[in-house]
Order: sequence, then structure tokens, then C-alpha cells
Amino acid sequence: MGAVTTEAEKSGQQTSGPGIAVRTSRWLPVIAVALYVTIPVLCSIYYAVFPGGNFSLAAYSVITEDASLAAAASRTFLITGLTIVVLVATLVPALVAVHLWAPKLRPILEILCTLPLVVPPIAIAAGVIALLRWGAQQGRGSVPSQISQFLQNPDLPLILVGTYVVLCLPFTFRSIDAGLRTIPLKAMVEGSAILGSSIWGTIWRVVIPNIRGSMLFSVFFTTALCFGEFSIAATLGQQTIPVWLYDVSSNNFRASIAIAVLLNLATWALLFIATLSADRFSPAGRAARAEHSLQKQKAAAS
Amino acid sequence: MSTPATRTVTDQASNEVVFDGISKAFGPTTVLQNMDLRIGAGELITVLGPSGCGKTTALRILAGFEKPTTGRVLVGGKDITSVTPNRRGIGMVFQAYSLFPNMSVQDNVEYGLRVRKIAAEKRRKTATDMLEMCGLGQFAPRFPHQLSGGQQQRVALARALATQPEVLLLDEPLSALDAIVRVQIREEIRRLQQQLGITTMFVTHDQEEALAIANRVAVLNSGVIEQIDKPREVYQHPSTEFVARFVGSVTEVGVPADYRGGELPVQAPAKDLDTLFVRPEDITLIPDEDGTCTVVSQIYTGERTVVNTTTAVEGLEVTSSVSAAEAADLTPGTRVTPHVMSDAALRVFAHEVRERVAP
Repeated sequence: MGAVTTEAEKSGQQTSGPGIAVRTSRWLPVIAVALYVTIPVLCSIYYAVFPGGNFSLAAYSVITEDASLAAAASRTFLITGLTIVVLVATLVPALVAVHLWAPKLRPILEILCTLPLVVPPIAIAAGVIALLRWGAQQGRGSVPSQISQFLQNPDLPLILVGTYVVLCLPFTFRSIDAGLRTIPLKAMVEGSAILGSSIWGTIWRVVIPNIRGSMLFSVFFTTALCFGEFSIAATLGQQTIPVWLYDVSSNNFRASIAIAVLLNLATWALLFIATLSADRFSPAGRAARAEHSLQKQKAAAS
Repeated sequence: MSTPATRTVTDQASNEVVFDGISKAFGPTTVLQNMDLRIGAGELITVLGPSGCGKTTALRILAGFEKPTTGRVLVGGKDITSVTPNRRGIGMVFQAYSLFPNMSVQDNVEYGLRVRKIAAEKRRKTATDMLEMCGLGQFAPRFPHQLSGGQQQRVALARALATQPEVLLLDEPLSALDAIVRVQIREEIRRLQQQLGITTMFVTHDQEEALAIANRVAVLNSGVIEQIDKPREVYQHPSTEFVARFVGSVTEVGVPADYRGGELPVQAPAKDLDTLFVRPEDITLIPDEDGTCTVVSQIYTGERTVVNTTTAVEGLEVTSSVSAAEAADLTPGTRVTPHVMSDAALRVFAHEVRERVAP
């Protein structure tokens, strides 16, 4: 008898026991990833604002004290903005054109855009430096030398914009390409054309709003890359934020960590805002609001 | 800018559309062969044909999405062959609606006006008027995906008309809709088209739709216009065998040269016989124990009943359409004799050399 009861108890445990185990174990990977991501950040925050165990924002005084930080920050923002504009302004029309009129060229464009993925960034930097140096060596005042100088202007290093556009291409190409596949592009473009719009107007007013997800991804990927890219900027001797952080870390390590934390949080905040606004401006979101206002009108009328 | 409803007659006079010797080939395939078509100002022409006959290509050439290989397109006497679609001032309704999913109904209808840089207030008013006219007033703030197919196609129509185009093109606009909505919107298109006096080209593969809505019907086959005439003429007096077969159903029999109506001889079309194409409503079936045909089925379509019969001749079937009272005597299995009471739709004389499908 006793043995039987034990069996029953066991089977009872078996039905509920593994359930709980599974439910908790499902969270394990999530927790592991969360720890993996947050612990370094938490440590940096602790290191930045608890020097010697007491809370202090002293490390952040570098923001007001070191003018080179503000310059590096504004330079980085400018580079990021320009990179996004150049990337979108070239890639979207090119992809629309290929999808509409030259589908056979798409694989070629894809290979071209994916190429930067197989070339290490440092190799790209070396190539760019070689080119710039060649330009500078053509003699003072010569056209190649002037172009070389113009591209390396420390206030606005256009050479970095160009290089970052190339580095972003493989990822943004895929995202925008996939986005264009999900919409009835030809029908949209024809519908817009017959209503009088030029192809540029159509891209701006119809195509881009309908591949919002791909556009947001492209913008954020580009932002993240521009904020974090170190090797090329350093090799070209341009003071962007990552390069500034590296330089400062040798004499004021705590300040460099403090700013890195700030940058990290700012990027997260940006991402968060973007996700929210994407929701808000998505057709579904706007449709829900339209429905809501209709209900209100009806309620007011009755 | 006058409101659409008060468009004057002088405006209409300039809206004539002419296809002048249009040919179109995609690589080695010829889609249109030397097509001539004149659509009078304010006229609605339906272009009817089986799929692949080139009707959509003709429409897309008029819209500017395809360039003709040879020939010219004229609107109001002006050659627009090399004008891009966005400068043609033509309105178009697509089969798949093609509304912009990122814009509300209101914004969709305003789109053409916004492109033309019309002041915000004016375009809002025009769009509202258009939506009212299409019975969509309360849907203005909604988004396309919140509407039914019929409502979306109405929005597409309002959007096409909002810019007051000289010419309206409809590319199988009703084929994605269910039967009742299809008829409703068909009537609506006709009403608006007549009210606005807008020159219209309506492409369809549905012969009932083509006959119901048009001033004239152009029947297109393999890139050639076989017949262009009033709907009644196209149905009652088809000018070619293709038209007789494609528009409405028809019974084909071979008759001797001296046959002038009466009992229909049951013979397959043959080389030394005239071929007669007879509409179902022109055939009367008289029950007769020694009859040449046997009723096999009845198809009830409401007002009329379609009666199918077989004959001793293989492949030859005689189809009649009768009233419900007559149908009672024509149960499956009944032997009947067919009579032709009035003129046949088309008679092809034996000496005329024509390609025949039936052996």
C-alpha cells in the first residue's frame, strides 16, 4: 500500500514539478543575457559616480572644463547626421530604381553593398590614408592636395562621412531591400505618378513612409556605428567622441568612463524614443487614434 | 477652378482620346497590332477581351506607363505619346485599389491636389466634396486597411476624380469585388462619369459588365480590335466569330445555304455549309418524341432558365434560355426539337474563308 501511495505522490509531483521547473528555466537565458549586458554598465556607473565609495558627480565636471569634449561631441553629431542623410539619399533611390526598372542589376548592387563586410575596417582606413597621402603629395596648392585637405578638415572630416556610409551599406542595404519587398512598390509608384507626382516626390511622400521600419533601423544602425567607431577615426587622426574617450582615458580614466556611461544611456534613450514614436506613427497606431476620434464624434453626436 | 459638377461643354470638346496606329511589342511578342481607337469626349468605352488580349497594355499606353512601339496617342488633339504619366493629367483607378496605406482616406484623396500645390484649405474642401459625392463622407479620417474592398475602390475613384482629370482610366476596377458590390460600384462609376462628362476607358474581361456600363464596347482579341459598337449591336450583331463566341453564349450549327429559320438542323459546322451563331434566347425548344436533342440540364438564373441539350452529333450542344413556365416541360431527358424564331446573331457563309474552331 505504502509503495502505491509513493508512486501516486511521485506521479503527482511529476505533473506539477517539471511545469514549474520549465517555467523558471525559461527565464534563465533572459536573466543571463540581462546580467551580461547590465553588469558592465552597472560597474561603469558605480566606478564613475562612486569614487572611493561616496557618491560624487565630480567626474562629469570634465564636460564643462574640457572644451575639446564639446567639440568632439558636436563633430560626432554632425558626422552622424550627414552620414544618415547621404546614406538615405543615395541608397533609397538606387534601390527603388533597381526594384522598379532593373531587377537584373539587384544582385550586382547587393554584391557592391556587401563588399565592405569582407574588408576589415582597418584595411579600409589604410587604403583611405594612402589615397589622402597621395593627394597631399601632389604638391602644395595642387587640386588633389586641396581635395585631400578639404576631406580631412578637422571641423568637418567629410572623409569620415564617406567611410561610414560605406561601412553602413551592407546592413542598411539589406534592411531597405527587405522593406521594399514587403510593399507593392510598382503599384504605389504608378498610383502616385498618375496623380501627378515625380519619382522623387513619390519616394519622399509614399515609399519612405511605408518602409518606416527599415528606415528606423537604418538610422539607428548608422547612429550606433558613428557614435562607436574608433579605429578609422583614430587612424585618420580625427577627434570624434570615441577617440576623445581613448585619449582622455590615459590621464583621466574616471572621466572617460563617466562620459562613456552618459553616451551609452543617451543611445538607449534615443532607441527608446524611436521605438515609441515608431509605434505612434505606424499606420496601426494612427488608425487606432482615427477610430478613437470617430467614436468620440459619434458619442458627441448622440 | 470650377467644381467638377459644373464642368462646361467646351471643356469636354477637348477631351477626345485617339489611339492612332498603336502597336506594342514586348521583345518578340506583339501585344497590340496597329490599333486605331477614337473615344469621343465624355464617352465611356469599355475594352473587352480575354486575358492576354492586350487591353491592359492599351490602357497603360494611354496612362503613359508603356511606350508604344509605333503610333501616337492624342488627347484633345495633342500628341501625348512622349509625355510622362505625371504630366498627362489623367485619372486612373487600379484593379488592386493602390491606395497609399500610410495616409488617411482624406489624405489619399488630397494627394493629387497636394502634388499640384493647391492651398491646404481648398484641397480639403475639394476632397471632402469628392468623398461626399462617392458616399464616403464619414470615412475621411480612416485608413485604407479599415475599409472594405468596395469602400477602398470608391476612395480610389474619389482620388482619381479629385484632380478633375480630362480622361479617366479604369483597369478592371471591379474584378476584386463580390457580385453585389460590383454592380453597385459599376452604377456609381457610370453615374459620376455622366455627371462629370469625363472621357472614360474601362478595361474588363467581364462581358456583362462591359455591356451594362458602356456607350460603346470595343472587343479586343490578340491585339486587334474585332468590333467596336454599341453594346446592343455587339451582342445582337457580332461582326466576327470571335465576338459572337466571347460576348454572351452561342450555339454554332452548320446550315444549308437556303436555310431561313424554322426548325434548326442539327449538324456540326462544315466546309460546304453556312455556319450559324444563335443566341440562347433566339432558340425555342419544342418537346417532341422524335426530337433531335435531349435535355441534359437546367440552370436556374432567376428570370430565365438556361436549358442545355445534347445531340447525336458529337461536340454539338444546343443551348436555349426559356422562361420558368416553359422550363417546367423541359426536364432532363426530354427529347426536343430546336427552332430558331428570329434572326441569328451571325451567319458565316460557306464561301467565306474563315478559321474555324469546330471541325
